[in-house]
Amino acid sequence: MYKGTEGIFDTGEALIRMLDGCQHRGPDSTGFALYGEANPGELKLRFFLGSASDSETAIDTIRQRLLVLKAVILDESEIGDNYRVTVRYAGDVQKLAYEMEHTAKVISIGTSLEIVKDVGSAHEVDDRYAVHNYRGTHGLGHVRLATESDVKPEASHPFWATGFADVAIVHNGQITNYWKMRRRLEQRGFEFTTDNDSELIAVYLADKLAQGSDLNTALEASIDDLDGTFSFLVSTEDQIGYAKDRLAAKPMILYQDDDLVAVASEEVSLNRLFPGRSLNTHEPAPGTYATWSRLT
Amino acid sequence: MVTLDLASLTVREVNEQLRQFGAEGEDVHISNPDARHHIGVGLTDAITVHVDGSAGYFCAGLSDQAHFKIAHNVGWGVGDNMYSGSVVVGGNSGAIPGVAIRGAEIVIRGNMGSRAGQVMKAGTLCCAGNANFMAGYMMYGGRIIIVGDSGERVGEDMSAGEIFVGGQVQDLGSDAMIVDTESGEDEEIRAFLDRYEISFSGTFTKVINAGKKLRYGSSEEQMRSLPFTVFSGQSEYWNTKVQEDIHIKSNSGRYRIRGYGGARPLPHLSDLTFRRDLSSAGKVADVVNRVSMETQIGGINGAEPLKLSMPVMIAPMSYGALSRSTKQAVAMASAMSGIAENTGEGGMSDAQRDAAGQLIFQCLGGRLGWNIHDMRRADGLEIYISQGAKPGLGGQLMAKKVTPELAEIRGIPSGIDLRSPSRHPDILGADDLVIKVEELREATGYRVPVSIKLGAGRIRDDIKIAAKDGFDFVELDGMQGSTGAGSSEVIDHVGIPTLPAIIEALEALEEIGARDNIELVLMGGLRDGVDAVKALCLGADAAAFGTSVIIAGGCIACMQCHVGQCVTGIATQDPEHERRYKPASEASNIHRFLESVRWQIAAITHGLGYTDVRELNRDDLVALTPEAAAITGLPYEPRDGDQLPLVQSI
Repeated sequence: MYKGTEGIFDTGEALIRMLDGCQHRGPDSTGFALYGEANPGELKLRFFLGSASDSETAIDTIRQRLLVLKAVILDESEIGDNYRVTVRYAGDVQKLAYEMEHTAKVISIGTSLEIVKDVGSAHEVDDRYAVHNYRGTHGLGHVRLATESDVKPEASHPFWATGFADVAIVHNGQITNYWKMRRRLEQRGFEFTTDNDSELIAVYLADKLAQGSDLNTALEASIDDLDGTFSFLVSTEDQIGYAKDRLAAKPMILYQDDDLVAVASEEVSLNRLFPGRSLNTHEPAPGTYATWSRLT
Repeated sequence: MVTLDLASLTVREVNEQLRQFGAEGEDVHISNPDARHHIGVGLTDAITVHVDGSAGYFCAGLSDQAHFKIAHNVGWGVGDNMYSGSVVVGGNSGAIPGVAIRGAEIVIRGNMGSRAGQVMKAGTLCCAGNANFMAGYMMYGGRIIIVGDSGERVGEDMSAGEIFVGGQVQDLGSDAMIVDTESGEDEEIRAFLDRYEISFSGTFTKVINAGKKLRYGSSEEQMRSLPFTVFSGQSEYWNTKVQEDIHIKSNSGRYRIRGYGGARPLPHLSDLTFRRDLSSAGKVADVVNRVSMETQIGGINGAEPLKLSMPVMIAPMSYGALSRSTKQAVAMASAMSGIAENTGEGGMSDAQRDAAGQLIFQCLGGRLGWNIHDMRRADGLEIYISQGAKPGLGGQLMAKKVTPELAEIRGIPSGIDLRSPSRHPDILGADDLVIKVEELREATGYRVPVSIKLGAGRIRDDIKIAAKDGFDFVELDGMQGSTGAGSSEVIDHVGIPTLPAIIEALEALEEIGARDNIELVLMGGLRDGVDAVKALCLGADAAAFGTSVIIAGGCIACMQCHVGQCVTGIATQDPEHERRYKPASEASNIHRFLESVRWQIAAITHGLGYTDVRELNRDDLVALTPEAAAITGLPYEPRDGDQLPLVQSI
């Protein structure tokens, strides 16, 4: 995250470099959560399309559903395997999200958030989606080693908190009380689109935020509520934060100066932003969390 | 003094040049390190390496004698497994600094991350700042000096060694306690700090092991020995086995530890047979010379492969569980039969190295006996994740077997009930594993194959990770595999049997189109050449034998492997008992058994109409039980009697 209240930065390029630095941790897929300019009353939606042959049908279905939901299309395009659309929408985002989930494979919905994720390395995904053109204030990135039969773009990170605009997460680890936590949230009406524990963390945090918690409180609670090993990063429209489990089983390293804060699994990723420089970094302690805000 | 620039060279190139300059005694500067991993891994010359910035994971790992000065930070595992020499880190260190060191001085001028000095055995790890969570976790010896605060749970499950804390002891770990410093210790520490120009005027608090968890609270009474045939009795409900089990527990009040393999009937390779009538297969003279059996394993990524005279290897078994003489006999037999031996946990002895033609060196979580010099003289390296008999659990070696000599090789205190760690300090996921594999390759110049030992548990995911993390081959171990000591309940009830294990593994590799990216060696209760051929038919590249080799070498299956007083001199460290074991003659016995395996493989392969073991395939097999048919997808064709006279033909 670039600090300060003004200015936009090459977040896409910065994340590509950082992810390229740790691609050895996950050669199969790469993803980005990018936060750009938000326009009041507008939402950005991204969808995975099927194979190219029926993409027109898929897009038509999405258009019709948006029409029914009174979301007015302002701008639309096909990029790589994605359909990207900007709408004017005044209704309930969760309703829109769940309706769209039932229609198509939603990647992200947000006023400023756009998630780009697909099979391949950071540079390959960039070649397909021109991630380097993204400018903004903050973002997340992730590389993944997949064990499913064919590497699915929808199983890659970052995960959007299904139903909640602008909340995204990247996570390294394994949540061992996943089903217990998920059932609790499902009983309260939340829907999950994958069996991935990272989606659970995203929805869990977004729910806390929606109930009025600030991000710090939500992260503090997550360390108590989630079992297992985890190091995760969360981002919202104007904040980023991390939380780390009490056993410190998963790596995390942090750098910050007056202009930015950067967090990664390895210092080699941070150094990609500052080639040839020795950085004053630190490893967050087990069981800790922290947040940074654009508004401070 | 020369400078190597990591802005233009790869880490692999830099490490190759470091070894060259090391041999010439030339000190080296490394510029633009930018936190890259594996800098200086495997360096064994007394030169000084200056890293002009920050280093990544495993800087100075697996090195001996060299001195490293790192201007800024380091990532995880600085000085991993170092024997002697020093590392001075100008800034902070990530997690597990000084992991598994066997000597050396490691100084962190800033703060250090979690689990500092995990499973270290000797040497000094010093931090001028604060430590983090679980400093000294499972340390077996050596000294940690923390000038600042200790962090939480300092000394968690340490077995031996000392931790000196200059600041606040925030929280003591399990089985750790505070004691007074002994005379002279304080002066020694201050001399050490002076040498590294670290100023400190306060007093040190000393933390050591409290001795409450080093031994089981109760010992197991040794009852009348039950032969395995009785032990596995199936007909009676409250049979002799059940009674013995209850008696032992009524005495010790805890779960039971025993050696050997599972005694529960499970679907196995014996539930399969060959489609073709092989009743005359053993009658062809000179059949061994009519079938091509030479097999190379481990060369698919460019390493020097193991060259096996037949698709057979020795399963990993430790010096510790087994006596030195037994490991020597197995090594001799493996050489006579032209196959590969495996060290298992607990290090490599000269006798074993000299006797074995080809030897795989195993790396486990406790790093007991693991070191750069033996890595260099190994023909293969293997990362142990788990074993079939007790997947997910560490090894057990009861105090009777932890003799001073054995403890010395492993770098641990003698006379403790050793419970080896079940996890590696630096492998907590597939992403860490790939960095570890790279470290082993860097340390040995990419010369030897690197394999992974997987106990059958979460096979579908694990085997895919193994293929994606760049291993050359996997040793897949099913539930019927044996152990020198394990919890009886775990041995009988935890794991996935060998038959479904290989099926699931092959399916998983097919799913991701990675069958050609990794070779597969199957083990876990394989008894003879017939089982080996079935494994090959199912899709394994080779088969490995453990228990049958031990039986061939004199084991009487009394199941007292864990006790340490093995009457045959096999599973013991007691010189009196070991004296009964005659390595040369037992090696001949094992060799003859292995040759019977060779003959069986040849006879069956020939009987199936092939001239090369690589022609064996699934269509050669049928299932004798509905369960085996369901597991393998082979046709269910029950048959009367055993159509294979091969076992008797030898």
